[in-house]
Amino acid sequence: MNMNRNMNLKKIRTALLVLIAAATAAVFLLPLVWMLSTGFKNDFEALAGQMNFIPKKPTFDNFVDGLTGELMNVPITRWIFNSLFAGAAGTALVLWIDSMAAYALARLPDVPLRRVLFPMFVASLMIPGVLTFLPMYLEFNQFGLINTYYALVLPYTAGAFGVFLLYQFFVSFPREIEEAARIDGANKWQVYASVLLPSSVPIMVTLGIFTFMGVYNDFVWPLYATTSPEMRTITAGIAMMAHGSYTQAYGKLMAMTTIAALPVLLVFIFGQRSFVRAITQSGIK
Amino acid sequence: MLRASWRSRFTSSLFVLPYLACFALFLLIPILYGIYISLHEFELLSKEHPFVGFQHYASIFTPGTYLNSLFFNGLWATLQFVIYSVPLLIALGLALSLLVNALPRRIRGLFRTFYFLPYALSASVMAVIWLMMFDTNAGFINSFLAKLSLDPAPWLTGRPWAWIALVLATLWWTIGFNMVIFINALNEVPEDHYEAASIDGANAWRKFVAITLPSIRPVMLFVLITSTIASFNIYAQPFLLTRGGPGDSTKVLLINILDQAFIRKELGSASAMAVLMALLIMAVSVVQYRLTYGRKE
Repeated sequence: MNMNRNMNLKKIRTALLVLIAAATAAVFLLPLVWMLSTGFKNDFEALAGQMNFIPKKPTFDNFVDGLTGELMNVPITRWIFNSLFAGAAGTALVLWIDSMAAYALARLPDVPLRRVLFPMFVASLMIPGVLTFLPMYLEFNQFGLINTYYALVLPYTAGAFGVFLLYQFFVSFPREIEEAARIDGANKWQVYASVLLPSSVPIMVTLGIFTFMGVYNDFVWPLYATTSPEMRTITAGIAMMAHGSYTQAYGKLMAMTTIAALPVLLVFIFGQRSFVRAITQSGIK
Repeated sequence: MLRASWRSRFTSSLFVLPYLACFALFLLIPILYGIYISLHEFELLSKEHPFVGFQHYASIFTPGTYLNSLFFNGLWATLQFVIYSVPLLIALGLALSLLVNALPRRIRGLFRTFYFLPYALSASVMAVIWLMMFDTNAGFINSFLAKLSLDPAPWLTGRPWAWIALVLATLWWTIGFNMVIFINALNEVPEDHYEAASIDGANAWRKFVAITLPSIRPVMLFVLITSTIASFNIYAQPFLLTRGGPGDSTKVLLINILDQAFIRKELGSASAMAVLMALLIMAVSVVQYRLTYGRKE
């Protein structure tokens, strides 16, 4: 009797919790659903101020016009390409240079100045971006690299998070495997490329997803490092649209926004585990 | 042996060189260059950049000057945002993590994803969505208020609505980050501590205060520091949502620094403000760290 009552109480408690969680989830998802729904409305319906989630006259025009560039000369496909390219190139570079540096600092005791370099890299994680923003702009400006892919990719290579993350992994890598390879005559490069890299795929994927999302989503730097319409990233482009003549054309704006959000939402949903791991490890210092 | 060791050091250093080059070019040199610029009259379009020493800094701290009001009005707006957002980012982030952890195991991952999803969006996507949600005439929120027969609010153009809107959008966008950190911290708390407390007859609140909170103390500090730094760096929300308004009330420091650099093309004084802002952010995180860990020593 008493046990039965306890069981029932527990069930009610769980049901209540799920209800609260669902209501909270609805609040979190509502703006996204509204974005998607508005993208299918014509401008008149989007501005009608009604709360219909299912458009009365659904239209694909906003998406089609956006992707074919018929929306007031906005090259949205080029913007997406720029973002994907910058994200991919930035991620590839970061994975390459960070893994080499982390391997050397963690496994090669004869790196000159090793005792200075690693603490310096880690300390740089404390530097606020505002300190380097303007001089970096001038640096790129003086070399005529504003409005180029160099400006959209290179600044992200200075981040020390990847070196820090991979260093932790390489340091705890079992010495025996590495020594076995050395006895077999492998040199440093071979140990790095054929022993350490293959075994670090999961952590590299983690860093890769983290880096890709960071570059794809970055806002302030690409906004100022690009000025010509065809060199904008999708993030900077959407911001320009929101400041310009699209301000009230919510149907069109939301279709563009949905297109802009889609690639990174997919990366996020499929790579969530890795992304969460990267966040968690950034917290353990 | 000696020769081999010289060669070995050379090949070892080759591994670090690419990253070191990027680090120097896009971090070290910009830091030094930024300090150099802040000591010069550095107009973007002019060829001459005369040395002016600490004149920009002096001007920032001289009441009545243009730079003084630009810096301190911006700082005040930024501080207001920090004060409004950080406590909520921490308290609600923790509340969400407790909620997720209390759910049946099978659906935890799903709900964590729901709350975390907005964090994947870029600043401009987030801002455009909320521009539409907060629209005075056609926005979802005012339409909803009208359904409840409530007055519409000028979310992005009125006081204090603009601040409320900025904080709401920020909470929606970034709270998932804090939640994830807290969920991980909660999962690290040893289960037997709770069991021991249960045997002693402690209720849920007592367990939370006596076991959970002390156990996640270091993580609380991490969340406090990252949330504060992120809030200090606020830019996209007021830049895109309120445009610094109403009046200049949400013109945060970063907006003023970038306007000074890119609209008025005064990079020298903009850099001086940027250096001060960076020092301030670093000082705040050091102070927060000391207040939490320094007391014991």
